[in-house]
Amino acid sequence: MSRFFMNERETLVPQALEGLVEAHGGLVEVHTDPLFVTRRTPATGKVALLSGGGSGHEPLHTGFVGTGMLDAAVPGDVFASPTALQVRAALRAVDAGEGTVMVVKNYTGDVLNFSIAAELLAETHRVEQVLVDDDLATQKEDDGGPGRRGTAAVVAVEKVCGAAAEAGAPLSEVRALGQDVVARSATLSVAFEACTNPMTGKRSFELEPGRMEFGVGIHGERGIETRAATEAAALVESLVDPLVASVGIRRGDRVLAIVNGLGATHGLELGVAARETRRVLDGRGVTLARSLVGPYVTSLDMKGLSITLTALTDDLVKLWDAPVRTPALAW
Amino acid sequence: MSDNELTGADARAWLLAFADRVVADADELTELDRQAGDGDFGWNIGSALKRARANLDGDDPAAVFQSGSDTFLASGGTSGPLFGLWFGRLGAGPSASWSVPDLAGAFETATGAVRRLGKAEVGHKTMVDAMVPATHALATTGSSHWREALREAAVAARAGAESTSGMVAHRGRASYLGERAREVLDPGAVSIAWFFEAADGI
Repeated sequence: MSRFFMNERETLVPQALEGLVEAHGGLVEVHTDPLFVTRRTPATGKVALLSGGGSGHEPLHTGFVGTGMLDAAVPGDVFASPTALQVRAALRAVDAGEGTVMVVKNYTGDVLNFSIAAELLAETHRVEQVLVDDDLATQKEDDGGPGRRGTAAVVAVEKVCGAAAEAGAPLSEVRALGQDVVARSATLSVAFEACTNPMTGKRSFELEPGRMEFGVGIHGERGIETRAATEAAALVESLVDPLVASVGIRRGDRVLAIVNGLGATHGLELGVAARETRRVLDGRGVTLARSLVGPYVTSLDMKGLSITLTALTDDLVKLWDAPVRTPALAW
Repeated sequence: MSDNELTGADARAWLLAFADRVVADADELTELDRQAGDGDFGWNIGSALKRARANLDGDDPAAVFQSGSDTFLASGGTSGPLFGLWFGRLGAGPSASWSVPDLAGAFETATGAVRRLGKAEVGHKTMVDAMVPATHALATTGSSHWREALREAAVAARAGAESTSGMVAHRGRASYLGERAREVLDPGAVSIAWFFEAADGI
């Protein structure tokens, strides 16, 4: 028997969503045929914001449905894109006449299915897309390949776009803000243990004791390099320094840091990582203006963490600080 | 309406004939995909078409293609959703019987959407290698009867599908195999040839 806590593999995602409604029935509603999640009380008179992707990254995206963030989330099966049929149904459900922005992480299946859904509604609905591709580990010279993966910066994109939409920003502005956040963000991840396949109970890769996998993604894939595990201070430095360089952050700039647990990293550990992030940025003369610390974009039960930096402006700070009320994020 | 125009009933019979062909010969597609991909292509498209058969309905070709698209849009992988997009865009064609220019226009729109969103062009060893020549044949045919025009499209689609043997894939799973899958026909292109060939004899 698998050590993964579930009933049948087929019912894993829909049953987990039933549980989401048990906990947050005042905020979200689950539609089952086809499967997607919307706010319990649909918003009117604003641009709709929709996202989605494979399951296994909870609380992403279903945990971010609510006031000030998403209008709908479309979950696929574990690590698999939702279907175009699901996305199309969700797009139809949330469009309040002001158009819809889709936030899509850069994976071939997600991009294809979200784009197909939007294309099939082109005559009747205005739909724009923000592509999130923040993972520095997959940075390559342009080789015509799929490009960088989308990871934890998607939380910043959904928060900022959600706040702007709630404040009445038009479709083109919500999309432009999302693209701006993507351009200002980069993420790097590290893992000490791979995640467990729910069916086989096997880890997606094995690491020798004392080793860590640098540059992992959020689907249990190996990273770019296996390194000797180091203590937190040196490890966080090795994540933050390339991010600072990549986003073009200079002394005196302000940043948002998302210190994200990948599923099996304890709050104590993330606390230390957040502290070290502050220390490293202070040392570079960069102002850590806002931090989000916790498991927000997980990779099943992967033991590891990611750090995302987003270079901030006054407007982005305001949008980040704007009220939000979702199952996973509320202030 | 003249006999030259494709009716909803014709379109329905055409899609049913295509479904019969795919269900009967799914093993052939699966075998091609096994050699060049992950081996589930025949099964995926066959199961989508089986489910589509029950729902096929509509007064005109656009409505019929539309009714056939949803089960493809509900499928995983890449080829299924792209078939769904293709049929879905055909579903945006005129809400009446289709003349040959209507047919050509609808396929132009649908094939254009697949090229754009699938990011595939002729020579990439995908379904586009059969779609594009068939669409071109419809646009340039001298025939004014849909049956004749689709016969020409089928010949073009078949030639396009055959041309994928000898290509090195740039898109899809076959691209991971590169040279090793060069001589294998692309199952997506073959299924498009079957689609146009299915119009003959209805």
